[in-house]
Amino acid sequence: MPSLVVDHVTKHYGAFRAIEDVSFAVEPGEFIVMVGPSGCGKSTLLRIIAGLEPISAGRIVIGDRDVTDLEPADRGVAMVFQNYALYPHMNVAQNMGFGLKMSGRPRTEVEAAVRRAAEILRITEHLHKRPKELSGGQKQRVAIGRAITRSPDVFLFDEPLSNLDAALRSQMRVELSRLHSELQATMIYVTHDQTEAMTMASRIVVINRGVIEQIGSPLDLYNRPGNLFVAGFLGSPRMNFFKARVGARADAQAIVASVDGLDAPLILPFGEGDGQLPSAGADIVIGIRPEAFGEGDSALSVEATVKVAESLGRETLIYADAGRLVTHDSESQEGYIAVHRPYQSATAYGRPIRLSIDPQDIFVFDPTGPTLRFPKRRAAA
Amino acid sequence: MAKLLRFRVLQAAMYGFLAVYSLFVLLPMLWMVFAAFKTKREIFVDPMGLPDSLSFVAFGRAWDIGLGIFLLNSAMVTLLSVLVIVIVSGMAAYVLARSEYPWMRWVYLLVVVCFAVPVHGVLVPLFQMLSAAGLLNSRLAIVLPYAAYGIPFTTVLFYAFFLDFPKELEDAARLDNCNRIQTFFRVILPLSGPALASASIFQAVFIWNEFLLALLMLTRPALKTLPVGIFELTSEFTADWPAVMAGLSIAIVPIIVIFFFSQKYFVRSLQGLGK
Repeated sequence: MPSLVVDHVTKHYGAFRAIEDVSFAVEPGEFIVMVGPSGCGKSTLLRIIAGLEPISAGRIVIGDRDVTDLEPADRGVAMVFQNYALYPHMNVAQNMGFGLKMSGRPRTEVEAAVRRAAEILRITEHLHKRPKELSGGQKQRVAIGRAITRSPDVFLFDEPLSNLDAALRSQMRVELSRLHSELQATMIYVTHDQTEAMTMASRIVVINRGVIEQIGSPLDLYNRPGNLFVAGFLGSPRMNFFKARVGARADAQAIVASVDGLDAPLILPFGEGDGQLPSAGADIVIGIRPEAFGEGDSALSVEATVKVAESLGRETLIYADAGRLVTHDSESQEGYIAVHRPYQSATAYGRPIRLSIDPQDIFVFDPTGPTLRFPKRRAAA
Repeated sequence: MAKLLRFRVLQAAMYGFLAVYSLFVLLPMLWMVFAAFKTKREIFVDPMGLPDSLSFVAFGRAWDIGLGIFLLNSAMVTLLSVLVIVIVSGMAAYVLARSEYPWMRWVYLLVVVCFAVPVHGVLVPLFQMLSAAGLLNSRLAIVLPYAAYGIPFTTVLFYAFFLDFPKELEDAARLDNCNRIQTFFRVILPLSGPALASASIFQAVFIWNEFLLALLMLTRPALKTLPVGIFELTSEFTADWPAVMAGLSIAIVPIIVIFFFSQKYFVRSLQGLGK
């Protein structure tokens, strides 16, 4: 039986449709990450699950109970907020035990639950402190501890790491993954940070404009995005998109595409798992991940000029100007091609760069969104 | 450079204005304290001069008319009124600040409109109502009107504070099994120190000094508050002005002490009022 079922949930604020007919089920022990751009409705959906927002239609089932009309405290959920939401007038122990105390549990039980959670999170020495005496990371630990003491059926996290600095964020990411493994708890996590989504999730739910674009494992979504939005949203730098047109069908299983700005035509075979072959003359969008650009000579090579080179230590991100071959809806906003090199590169502004393209690595999308073709090369086992 | 000079001149002018205004407010108080140490003769012969000696005789005369009882009465009435005002206004402001019903804006407007009703305009009906209710010559006869007049202003003050109160704390309280009332008393009120302090001081000062309603509603000496009690030192043709000033000097002490200890919250809350 699923831990949580979100069943045809809709939420309207007057004429604005924040969530539109969203459905999905979460299995026990899963770590679900909901991602999407700002204002897409992911936090609203989390608040709906928590019971903090009433819904316009649909139902929420936790375990075997329909909790749609239940108060937040009666749903068996605990939530960790972006700004921690710790009570400033209570110390850490009081913060963590407040929920149990308000539920009328005996003091010994509350104290035992607080101590257990504090030990798991290694904050025992801070139990007597007020929130203002804690650092950001410690506050977040207390907020998580408050959730743990309630032993909920489902943990809800609303962008819990977004207020932390980069170093602490990656540390807490590891901590949360460890916690998930230790507690074997069902967790729903909202973030706009795709690193968090890719590294922590059992499954990712990609939300856009109040609807689910795709649900799947992180690698599944990365390798087989269902549409243009998911393909562009997951991956940093984002996928390069090029406008193209189907010249003709090479045969029953392949198309010849001419890409705006690229002299040589592309022959793109379609295979198992791909969508329907687009008809001759149809507009399509070609997608190439930044790491898919090679360096060697090939039939499909493009000469470009480096415009920006970002050295990240063990890798280098390059934004290159390839003349007439411009990306649209790109990260640089100027049509530059994003290229990823998995090593330190000495390249710099103005240097030439050769970008070779292997048709095996190319995605094909219908301009209206759906993916028509996936790359033929798969990651090594 | 010219900009900096202009800024400095403006700053000096503002400080100058503030200093003059402070003197304007403080000088009468200073005169009151000096007058309390003067004799009846001195106060008329040399009204602006310093007292010849530090005589506490006037303080003794003031105390003898029952200043201790009046102080106690004022303290009880002030405490009770402020308590009613703070609880009712706090809850009303919380509902107004959090409600999503559009008509609540009109309710808020109605509360603001209550400012415009002068107490003198409703004295007669108020007297008749309290008389009909059999409340004349009881502390409730002034506590209830004080609360009624204090609630609108305090509601507006709390409303501004609650608009900025982090909603996540309320969400956390709901998840921690608190209902609305528990959320208000266990989470919101304990964190409303600045608003509570300034509302309490504002109302306490007003109620402590209020004269007209207390004079009208309370005639039994055992119930009289400080301003009405001190008024007994005056009669139709004469007045013991040094004793009046001594009584008033004693009367301001509790308020000054309260303000001294809570001025930090008072100022912080007034800053929030401007938002």
